[in-house]
Amino acid sequence: MFLSVTGALFAGFLNTLKLFVLTLLFSLPLGLIISFGSMKNLKLLRYPVKFFIWIIRGTPLMLQLLVIYYGPGIILHANIWGSGDNGRFSAALVAFVINYACYFSEIFRGGIQSIPVGQYEAGQVLGMTKHQIFTKIILLQVIKRIIPPISNEVITLVKDTSLARVIAVYEVIWEGQSFIKSAGIIWPLFYTGIFYLLFSGLLTLLFGYIEKKLDYFKIK
Amino acid sequence: MSFLEVKNIKKNFGNTEVLKDISFDMDKGQVVSVIGSSGSGKTTLLRCLNFLETPDSGSIRIKDELLFDSSVNTALSEKEIRKKRLHFGLVFQSFNLFPQYTAIDNICLAPSLLSKEDPSIDASAIRDRAYELLIQMGLSNRVDNYPHELSGGQQQRVAIARALALNPDILCFDEPTSALNPELTGEVLKVIRELADKKTTMIIVTHEMSFARDVSDIAIFMDKGVIVEQGPSKEIIDSPRLERTKQFLAYYR
Ligand SMILES: Nc1ncnc2c1ncn2[C@@H]1O[C@H](COP(=O)(O)OP(=O)(O)OP(=O)(O)O)[C@@H](O)[C@H]1O
Ligand SMILES: [Mg+2]
Repeated sequence: MFLSVTGALFAGFLNTLKLFVLTLLFSLPLGLIISFGSMKNLKLLRYPVKFFIWIIRGTPLMLQLLVIYYGPGIILHANIWGSGDNGRFSAALVAFVINYACYFSEIFRGGIQSIPVGQYEAGQVLGMTKHQIFTKIILLQVIKRIIPPISNEVITLVKDTSLARVIAVYEVIWEGQSFIKSAGIIWPLFYTGIFYLLFSGLLTLLFGYIEKKLDYFKIK
Repeated sequence: MSFLEVKNIKKNFGNTEVLKDISFDMDKGQVVSVIGSSGSGKTTLLRCLNFLETPDSGSIRIKDELLFDSSVNTALSEKEIRKKRLHFGLVFQSFNLFPQYTAIDNICLAPSLLSKEDPSIDASAIRDRAYELLIQMGLSNRVDNYPHELSGGQQQRVAIARALALNPDILCFDEPTSALNPELTGEVLKVIRELADKKTTMIIVTHEMSFARDVSDIAIFMDKGVIVEQGPSKEIIDSPRLERTKQFLAYYR
């Protein structure tokens, strides 16, 4: 029994992990782009971007999952997600990427705007280009600033992946819960908790390591 | 013709006229100090010279090269502005060192980047020159320290070295000691004094009157966006002619 539960949970966790990794892979760069949009002087760009961020951050991810999965089929009569597990997984991924990109964009914006203008001006009077100022001076300071909030978001993401089950993406909790019906046992659910604990523990260590690596300098 | 010629510079922020009609000249090797009460536009003047602000009108000419002229100027590209502003260096009140670089790397960063686009800069000599500058600033034992490991006075001296590394024609200082406590002020003023002795062309905004009097050749007294009085610094500071200048200097006696 233990082995078959372990096997099922691993299969589920693989899906969880896939969703986690792919979400980060796409939402971090997308978040950076959105943050630039939200800082542009051009109101025509800034306001729509800010409005979009407000919508995404102001509504539950669960709701966004449902709308993104069912919306196209019902409103547009187009089944853009395809059928089966892959279709549901793609829909979940898109919802997660959009949601997390918005959260990350606000973290990036806060980080970038927290760097004093004196840093930019010092670079300018030394004849550096805008691009050089960003990559050689600003970026690392921003990264140091945002590592703690990013680490919070990432650990939240680990747990949020379980929401994908509302559109029947078979992640680890789904698998664990199935044993309640099929075998009348609850311990597989606790077992799924161990997966989350180990994984978030690992991430905590990783972020702690990065923070330490950036400890050699201090930002005013 | 003078080394630097600033003519009829005006600058508004919204409805406030911050610089009303600023004109002055200086020669190579001279030190000019700019004094005046808070809000008189001293910082704005330095920022205009360094292209951090664009004057609304007026012209700036250095060594016969017209850097800025509001009457002929079309919009300048970033590349052109970068090239023009390298005639000037600027040392900030708040140092603005880059926290993730050591003292020597703060100095080497900009020259190294410039050497990639300008083959006349010898990239292999940059570090030696930076080291030399740190020695000149009395910081030979602080070469590999990060800014947060340095006192304010030491940070400001690194910032001076950083500006000097690009060999500007004119080095500007905006109240270089105002963020420092009195003990540390002396060490920064000392290196500026040494630069003056070496005939470094400098424009210094300062509230240190006796320093301005001793070190600079010319003093400019600004008030509400205009130059009220300018002349040999000893004359201006010891025996100002105008009532407004006398009032201002009275605070420093
Ligand atoms: N970016 C800006 N936008 C609007 N007003 C500004 C700006 N920069 C400066 N000012 C205004 O211009 C005036 C002159 O400012 P400036 O900083 O040049 O004075 P200052 O002589 O350097 O004063 P201090 O001795 O306090 O440094 C002030 O009234 C200030 O409020
Ligand atoms: Mg000022």
